[in-house]
Amino acid sequence: MSERTLEGVGVTPLSGVGSVVWYDQEVELSAPPAPEDVDADTERDRFSNALGTAREELQAERDRTAEEVGEDEAEIFDAHLQFLDDPQITGAVEDAIDEGLPAEHAIQEGFEGAIEQLEAAGGRMAERADDLRDIRDRLLRIATDAERLDLSELPEGTVLLAEMLTPSDTAQLDPDRVAGFATAKGGRTSHAAIFARSIGIPAVVGVGEDLLDIEADAEVVVDGEAGDVIVDPDEETRERAAASRDVEIRTDRVETADGESVEVAANIGTAAELEGAVAQGADAVGLFRTEFLFLDRETPPDEDEQLETYVEALDAFPEGRVVVRTLDIGGDKPIPYVEAEEEDNPFLGTRGIRRSLGPDSELFRTQLRALLRAGAEGDGDLAVMFPMVATVEEVDRSLEIVENVASELDEAEIDYAVPELGVMIETPAAVFMGEQLAERLDFFSIGTNDLTQYVMAASRQNEAVADLHNPRDPAVLRAIDRAVDAAHAGDAWIGMCGEMAGDPELTELLLGLGLDELSMSAVTIPDVKANVVETDTADAREFAERALASSTKDQVSQLLTDNT
Amino acid sequence: MMERTVTIVPEAGLHARPASKLVETANEFESEVQIAADGEDPVDAQSMLGVSSLGAEHGEEVRLIADGPDAEAALDALERVLSTPEDEYDE
Repeated sequence: MSERTLEGVGVTPLSGVGSVVWYDQEVELSAPPAPEDVDADTERDRFSNALGTAREELQAERDRTAEEVGEDEAEIFDAHLQFLDDPQITGAVEDAIDEGLPAEHAIQEGFEGAIEQLEAAGGRMAERADDLRDIRDRLLRIATDAERLDLSELPEGTVLLAEMLTPSDTAQLDPDRVAGFATAKGGRTSHAAIFARSIGIPAVVGVGEDLLDIEADAEVVVDGEAGDVIVDPDEETRERAAASRDVEIRTDRVETADGESVEVAANIGTAAELEGAVAQGADAVGLFRTEFLFLDRETPPDEDEQLETYVEALDAFPEGRVVVRTLDIGGDKPIPYVEAEEEDNPFLGTRGIRRSLGPDSELFRTQLRALLRAGAEGDGDLAVMFPMVATVEEVDRSLEIVENVASELDEAEIDYAVPELGVMIETPAAVFMGEQLAERLDFFSIGTNDLTQYVMAASRQNEAVADLHNPRDPAVLRAIDRAVDAAHAGDAWIGMCGEMAGDPELTELLLGLGLDELSMSAVTIPDVKANVVETDTADAREFAERALASSTKDQVSQLLTDNT
Repeated sequence: MMERTVTIVPEAGLHARPASKLVETANEFESEVQIAADGEDPVDAQSMLGVSSLGAEHGEEVRLIADGPDAEAALDALERVLSTPEDEYDE
């Protein structure tokens, strides 16, 4: 039998292979008995017992989620517990019992009104309707004694398929047993997707009705990167998926085979991702984007609010480093309280440090004050880097502002510590001026997505030039090589925080180029660490030399293929 | 019966955590507590369903109405919830 691929939306860049277990949470009710055959007191007791059991279950799931996923995710259950005690809903169920319905039918009816009420309100209220369905189904299952598939005790190598998974369902999945899950409904930002990412389970959502035709016990691959569910995979597909799952999580720092230490760090966009980064074995945070603090709000975050977030990050890595990137916005990401002119070519316009030294100088100062204070307060070692730097003057002016802010804090007798300071290497100008930049700074971090875009003059967003936007192009590799040499000549360390750093196929090449740190999305850390320990630095250097001597990206790709 | 008008400070509006917190607090008091969005009928502040269906957003004004022996204390406590930014809640 040949393999068959169903397309959905991948939510974790992980693959898994296993056999299908169907999860069907719907409880079918038979027609209710005649009202005179129903004893209201008995039914009220049954309902009240179901509420009690549901409360216990929810509390246990809440505790488990807080421990294994995170406090923010666990709060979903607080709302569930409150809905469970809601007088309006319980009242409606009790009224239905008084009218002669048995408990389960009364639950069905009592919740229906509440669900409709929220759906009619629309928007974010309608999302709450899914929470109510989740609670209703739980109560129905308890009241009817329906068999509950224990999601925390699934056989090892299970691929769970369902029409939809609720947050409570997903929170129970044990990543050591479950090879992956796929759902017919749901999107990238659904609760199930968010949980899958935090606990590192391969997952594809939104596959559609076709998913429902897959039979129990069928062998399937869940490819969370491509967003595919592959039924009856052939040998090659299966092995590839299985290999990607068998990676050990290494929480210790790793060395190459010949004993060179390499820092493997995580890129994060919000404080909520810290826990996942630690769980995947990150040594540090190599890129903490701070835009999330500023987006989707009417006024900028004040110094204290920022301080708290930075300290939270530093406390999550008491033995490691946290590299915070100062605000990197441009005309492409509008913020209500920031005046940004629409620009013809925002990626070549006022963005990153250009805004911080220009129209956003107040935001920049406030952010630096918060960062310097965090440096003194947090457990880990703080490093701060500036985005989109093209000139030495920009660095000199930024360092001057850091000094100003430090003396302000000094005068006000507020504790602070000046962090390590660095720049993102994204512009060809920064590569060419690397020696002079390194003399002034402690470190560089290469942003390969932007560096590739600017070196190749090929937009990241234009499909027509996607072929040119490839970090394996020898031109990009030579830019990286130059930046590494410049950094080391000036006694600065150099890392990489673009997508390229998280591609396990490229680990040996990047170490051969001399990078001291690799920072990536947390889920790829185990793969990259596994490759670091197998790399021999001398071999890697020789391999990098050959890649640098290539004429085309195809030759580089060929070298990479031959090397594996 | 006592009334008070309060502006919603949490960025999330009366959703998610702020909504949970409000309901939790309202249930700590003996008084009946209701909450009304601008020009709308009041809903039960002790009901998650009621509060969720208000859909009140950050910056909007809501009316709090309490009736009972500890009405004033209830209004004080609820005002505190509504005027505290979400990230300053005590755990």
